[in-house]
Amino acid sequence: MAETLLVGEGLTKRYGGVTALQDVSFTLAAGEILGLVGPNGAGKTTLVDLISGAQPATEGALTLRGQRLAGPAARRAKAGLARTFQYPQLALELSVADNLLLGRAARRHGTVWQMIAGAFAGALRPHSTADAEAVRALADELGIDGLDRPAGDLSLGEQRLVEVGRALGQDPLVLLLDEPFAGSDAGGVHGIVEVVRTVQRRGHAVILVDHNVDLVAGLVDRIMLLDRGRAVFDGEPRACLDSPQMQQVYFGVADPAETEEDVPHVVS
Amino acid sequence: MGQLQLWLSALEMGCFFGLLALAYYLVLVGAGFFNFAIGTYAMVGGLCTSYLVLYEDMNVWAAAAVAVLASAALAAVTELAVVRQVQRRSGRGELPALVAVAAVLFAIQQLGGYLFGYTTLPGQNLATFDPVSIGDTVAQPSTVLLLGFTVVAFAAAAAWIRYTRTGRLLRAVGDSTHAAGLLGLPVNRVRLIAFLLSGLLAGITGLLFAPKAGVSSLSGLSWALSGFLAMVVGGTGSVWAPLAGGVLLGLVEVFVPYYFGGQSHVYGLLLVALLFFAFKPSGLFVRRIRA
Amino acid sequence: MKQRVPGSVGLICGVVVAALILLWVGADGYRQTLVTTTATYALVALGMYVPYLMAGSLSMAYGAYAGIGGYAVGLLSTRTGLPLVLAWIAGPVVAAAVAVLLGLATRRLSGFFLAAVTLLFGMAFTALLVDAEGLSGGSGGLGSLRKLNFFGWEPSHYQVVIGSVVVVCGIAFLLDRLRMSPWGVVVRTMRDAPRAVEAAGVRVPVMNLVALAIGAAIAAVGGGLFTYSAGSVTPDTFTLNLVFLAIFMPLIGGSATPWGAVLGAVIAVELTLNFPVIETSGTLILALGVLVILLLAPQGVIGYAARLARLVGGRRG
Repeated sequence: MAETLLVGEGLTKRYGGVTALQDVSFTLAAGEILGLVGPNGAGKTTLVDLISGAQPATEGALTLRGQRLAGPAARRAKAGLARTFQYPQLALELSVADNLLLGRAARRHGTVWQMIAGAFAGALRPHSTADAEAVRALADELGIDGLDRPAGDLSLGEQRLVEVGRALGQDPLVLLLDEPFAGSDAGGVHGIVEVVRTVQRRGHAVILVDHNVDLVAGLVDRIMLLDRGRAVFDGEPRACLDSPQMQQVYFGVADPAETEEDVPHVVS
Repeated sequence: MGQLQLWLSALEMGCFFGLLALAYYLVLVGAGFFNFAIGTYAMVGGLCTSYLVLYEDMNVWAAAAVAVLASAALAAVTELAVVRQVQRRSGRGELPALVAVAAVLFAIQQLGGYLFGYTTLPGQNLATFDPVSIGDTVAQPSTVLLLGFTVVAFAAAAAWIRYTRTGRLLRAVGDSTHAAGLLGLPVNRVRLIAFLLSGLLAGITGLLFAPKAGVSSLSGLSWALSGFLAMVVGGTGSVWAPLAGGVLLGLVEVFVPYYFGGQSHVYGLLLVALLFFAFKPSGLFVRRIRA
Repeated sequence: MKQRVPGSVGLICGVVVAALILLWVGADGYRQTLVTTTATYALVALGMYVPYLMAGSLSMAYGAYAGIGGYAVGLLSTRTGLPLVLAWIAGPVVAAAVAVLLGLATRRLSGFFLAAVTLLFGMAFTALLVDAEGLSGGSGGLGSLRKLNFFGWEPSHYQVVIGSVVVVCGIAFLLDRLRMSPWGVVVRTMRDAPRAVEAAGVRVPVMNLVALAIGAAIAAVGGGLFTYSAGSVTPDTFTLNLVFLAIFMPLIGGSATPWGAVLGAVIAVELTLNFPVIETSGTLILALGVLVILLLAPQGVIGYAARLARLVGGRRG
């Protein structure tokens, strides 16, 4: 039985009269890939934000390897989380290589003393071969080239790839990917899938948010379906696709049999 | 100095800060921008008037007209040549706009010094009459004019915003320029009018205040800061909010040195700034957005 | 561009220009003053480089930090018998501490609000110098300062000038390397994508304070240098003009490398203090020039020189 890495209990997010997330619970085991799907506004990104610490939870608790996961995002990152964002957050004027380096570099600048010492170390020794090799390895794994290009020159799909590479550079226990496939081409999708498999092989875990349910279903071990802030399904991907909840959420129909004649087939 | 005299002085400073804050308010609401150069528009209003009267022997009203036109023109140039370009080029970032307005402030300051000299010139009274006495307290003509103008300016601004088409558009354009543009509203025209009015207002304010302690090319910076502070303290909830902010600062400016001596009004302003910016950045009067 | 020794290109250019300047200066007292003034401006601009150009937060308190450095030299010289060189440790340390305190008080502020508060702080600091007469000498300031004395060797004025140029080049070189280093990557990403930096494990507000401290320390070094060569310091020595110029110098010279700040300082001093026509109009020309550069050439002199070099080298700019 694989070790339980991440546990979320009763996660709720309310603000200004809106309930973005209501009482969502889940467990994530080592080596597991969890897919998070649901229509727009279902709360997928909110859940990722609550886990990563980008937003504080109104109610609920998180534990990572048995330890309470709380506090600002930076503290949780140091505990072993890494994430990408729905809209890539890159330093557009810096090179691709520098952006990839951030995840690795951040690990060496986590505490105040490291920040101060890091400044002196940086002035004395700006480049190290270890860093350069690590960045090249990340780039190879993801199929990114043109490392000297400014990140602002990249297409959206390429930028997402770089973000994934940056997160991987943190060597995280849990990797949170927020819509990594949106805007990617076949090569980009392949690169990200490779990364997900690598993390799995290392015995770590991935939470993957995306709209493309078919793509997600083929990749993940488990799917959690969110609808209007609640988790309505949590189980096997195939079972989820065939479930009445899926039909309800995406097509608004309770009985799958009804869809055949009345609703035009959705071209997948 | 009698207590009432102090209160009058505080009110006078308050009105000065409040008028500058109103100028800030117009540009903030109409263009979504903090125009620090307003302090220098006021400086030009005062310094130009004094220079023309003292060195060119011009009639004070004529000099004032020239000076106020100059301030308004500088405001228009700020918007047309600088702010619009910089905002278009770097939309999201605040830093380029801030640096741009700092450059404008600095440039106008240098221009003022170059044209009108670097010494402090005494302000010029638009009208001379006997000081008004209420019991022990004496109000100088410049004080009376400033207070009177404050009432007129705020009332006019309130009426303009409520009853004229451009005034009503002001908030709409400033709140969401993009949407306003899509709706076909005359965004650029409204912005320019906001800048022009603020320049006009600042210019008149500067020349009315100059008699109190003189004016030099370097006055613009501290006036810019005080006006900005007054606007933030007052908030954007109502067109009279800048006046409230100004009066609060006027009280600090006069009473803090009275009790603590020395240069303590600067410390007082710094404290007010830190407190308000940190805890109440939307000011005393917040806009109620109807849900 | 990949350099075998990171930062060497800038350093070589800087040293060449520095050597030329030092040759030009010679024994001329006026020119020597010009160079030490340039060095001071350059150091204040370099001080702003890390927090402003790298981390993206504009603080206008740099006159105060330079002033702390200057008064450290003044106080150590007139009130104590300690070796004067300690002032260049004490001043930067105090300035860094003050910067951290101010940074803590303003940590939720940015943009216009931060600029306004830090500007007010600078003015309050000047007011404090005037008020605290017993300590600071009031508006008269401190004068008749001692000379530096390294175990019996008293450097001549020209040697001090050389020293200040060396310090400027050294700091610019180190900052250039810092910019290229992993630390630099973290700080520069903070400017455009702070959420990414937080998500990677670095607390942005804390890193910001470290950047502020470094910047303040460098500015204090410049302040101390200026006070030493001027022989006195008053509350008005480090005017608000200096702060504005410090913002504009990297803009003129180019913000891609710290050497842009140095180049900008050279241009600024040339225009404001050495302008042949009328001294006063030089500053105006500088101010207008800044506006022109802001609008038309935001990469500054070095940026355009680099583009030109690439064009000449046959690659698309």
